[in-house]
Amino acid sequence: MSEMWVNMGPQHPMTHGLWNLRVKVDGELVTDAVPELGYLHRGIEKICEYRRYNEVVTLMDRTCYVAGLAWEQLYLMASEQALGVEVPERAEYIRVMCQELQRLASHLMWFAAFVMDVGLMAPFGYGMRDRDVILDLFQSFTGARMTYEYMRVGGVRNDVPVGFTDRCRKVMGWLEQRIKDYEDLCDRSDIFLKRCIDVGVLKAQDCIRNGITGPMLRSAGVARDLRRDRPYSAYPELDFQVAVHDAADVYGRYRVRMEEMRQSIFIVRQTLDHLDRKPGRVIAEKVPRFVGTPSPPPGQESYIVRRGYPKGVGFSAMEEPHGEALAYVVNEGGEQPYRVKFRSPVMVNICAVRDYLVGYRVSDIPAIMGSIDVCVGESDR
Amino acid sequence: MTADTLIGFAFWISAFMFNTLRPIVPAPFLPLMGAPAETATAYLIAGTMVFLTALINAIMLIWWERKLLGRFMDRRGAMHVGYAGLLQNLADGLKLFRKQPLRPREADKLGYFLAPAAYLATSLMIVGFLPVSTGWVPGVAPLSLLMALALFSFAPFFIFIGAWASNNKYSLIGGMRTAAQLVAYEVPLLFAVVSVVLLAGTFDLTGIVDAQIRFGWFALPLALGLIVFFVAMLAEVERIPFDLPEAEAELVEGWNTEYGGMLFAMTTLADYVRGLIGSYLIVLLFLGGWWVPAGPFTGALNGFPLAGIFWFQLKVYVVFAVFVWVRAGLPRVRTDQLLQIGWKRMIPISLANVFLAAAFVVVGWPPFPKLF
Repeated sequence: MSEMWVNMGPQHPMTHGLWNLRVKVDGELVTDAVPELGYLHRGIEKICEYRRYNEVVTLMDRTCYVAGLAWEQLYLMASEQALGVEVPERAEYIRVMCQELQRLASHLMWFAAFVMDVGLMAPFGYGMRDRDVILDLFQSFTGARMTYEYMRVGGVRNDVPVGFTDRCRKVMGWLEQRIKDYEDLCDRSDIFLKRCIDVGVLKAQDCIRNGITGPMLRSAGVARDLRRDRPYSAYPELDFQVAVHDAADVYGRYRVRMEEMRQSIFIVRQTLDHLDRKPGRVIAEKVPRFVGTPSPPPGQESYIVRRGYPKGVGFSAMEEPHGEALAYVVNEGGEQPYRVKFRSPVMVNICAVRDYLVGYRVSDIPAIMGSIDVCVGESDR
Repeated sequence: MTADTLIGFAFWISAFMFNTLRPIVPAPFLPLMGAPAETATAYLIAGTMVFLTALINAIMLIWWERKLLGRFMDRRGAMHVGYAGLLQNLADGLKLFRKQPLRPREADKLGYFLAPAAYLATSLMIVGFLPVSTGWVPGVAPLSLLMALALFSFAPFFIFIGAWASNNKYSLIGGMRTAAQLVAYEVPLLFAVVSVVLLAGTFDLTGIVDAQIRFGWFALPLALGLIVFFVAMLAEVERIPFDLPEAEAELVEGWNTEYGGMLFAMTTLADYVRGLIGSYLIVLLFLGGWWVPAGPFTGALNGFPLAGIFWFQLKVYVVFAVFVWVRAGLPRVRTDQLLQIGWKRMIPISLANVFLAAAFVVVGWPPFPKLF
């Protein structure tokens, strides 16, 4: 068989979203790969310029639909810096708890999709089921299961309800056992190991050259985690370990994510203890009033500058479930952000596709791409 | 001919029909109602019975798989149409039947339409050679096992024709994988069969079951053969972990990507008919067919008419449940890994099994008094 280009996407079981992977195959061998992104571009960064600061949070939920709270906090950390707002301690702890629950939900979703990609049927149901329990937790204090709109400039919208911490602890204990079960299920399956080990290898220097971050980088033996290396929110006071594996292949990424889930449970427990111990405000007392006022009706949006408000820029970097996400918010003294810019880790991880796909077989593509944990909403924005 | 074999039963129905009709048929048509017509009708009835058995069983297997897979995934499976979702597959089939048959413009017309029909037809033909109980088989052939296996290995060619004719890259890769898979599993599969034939001394499936009634289930002396045969059968019927030709993660739907509507229903049905035949063969060759050892419970049941068919069906559904279990618990292997499993693991094991069977033929099986 001579070489041919095969389009895998935009509608293809492997893609987990709307993007197109063009691979050149020689029989079963992949000889070239090109990612085509942009099918889900909604212009979120531009829309942000026409929304009040708090209204942008709604868009952030839509940026990454499996890790909405992570993007809410990423944006808010930058805009709070730009607006000069201080966040109360309790709000920071609630935010960190949200982050780690969101990481658990995202990784469980990844687990479900990944094992489905290598052909395991049953754990798909387990991953989705466990994620649902975390979504139930989210529902109990944000009121929503996917698009939360929970965080606000200066804190969070409301405190967690009475009895939430106990309920959450119960879920965490249960989940810990579950994760152990899943590891047993996968690690003791010869076929699973055969499909994962030495597949999709991307060494540390290649990761760094491509700007790849997150579990992919950590699976190559580089212990870089922004939660520890550039701590934000309440992370400096929390105790956890960075999950590292040195296999640099699909199996390493799987191990790193599994370990991260365990660490997330550990962190959530610490934040719950803190929430039980210290009551307090969950939103800052002094927040500029305009951040919450509604925007003008569609068609009449304009950039309104209020004199007297401070100007400033804000930058935030956080360890999102997929990798390192950066945000930059420019406050020119207006009611809306003047400019918002994000850096999505998924975008960077996908764009290096040629480096970790070429030389492997067509059957390996779903396993490798599954191990990247693609979220197209986030990469296309 | 008595009514306790399939052919006898068909003749009995046919005779009943003709005897009822003869008094009321007008005189000029009476020559058409003679003995030749009666015989022909009997064979037609026998064929229809086999056809319906295969189709109903295949549809029931889809239900069985959906329910079991649902339980494995901690959900309930089909449950709304009919009792416990029993009629769900008929509803799905009706939906697919109503769809317009579509053909991709660039697809080769003959190959595209021929492949699903031939795939289903050859699969259904095999059922005609498989006895479900003593005498319950239309094709009484001394080489029925050989015939069934020969027909069984037709399918990859039709899959390849369909894949090539679809003019789709996914289909093409899927079709190529079918061919690659064929070389991996056929040899160990046949070696495993050879060991059974050595021990039973016949190619007739009824004879093989009779031998098991005499010696006990072949699963005991030929445990290695059973394992090899089971794994090779998984590859033969293209189920996870060996469903490479339709690996949905990378090839969308593999070789039948371009098939929709009733054509898709036919390919899916043929898949399950083959799953059924795979379970049939495992039960016939290794698990004693329709015979169960007499125990306090089974002894009482064995007195009933058609008890053999009951036991046979029970075993078939248990074997298929293992197929589903494997599907729920194992990932899909890669093409090269399948070849490695086939050649480096299964062929040596199956050869050892053949030697074992030969040894048993020489020293006699069972080497110790019959257990059950």
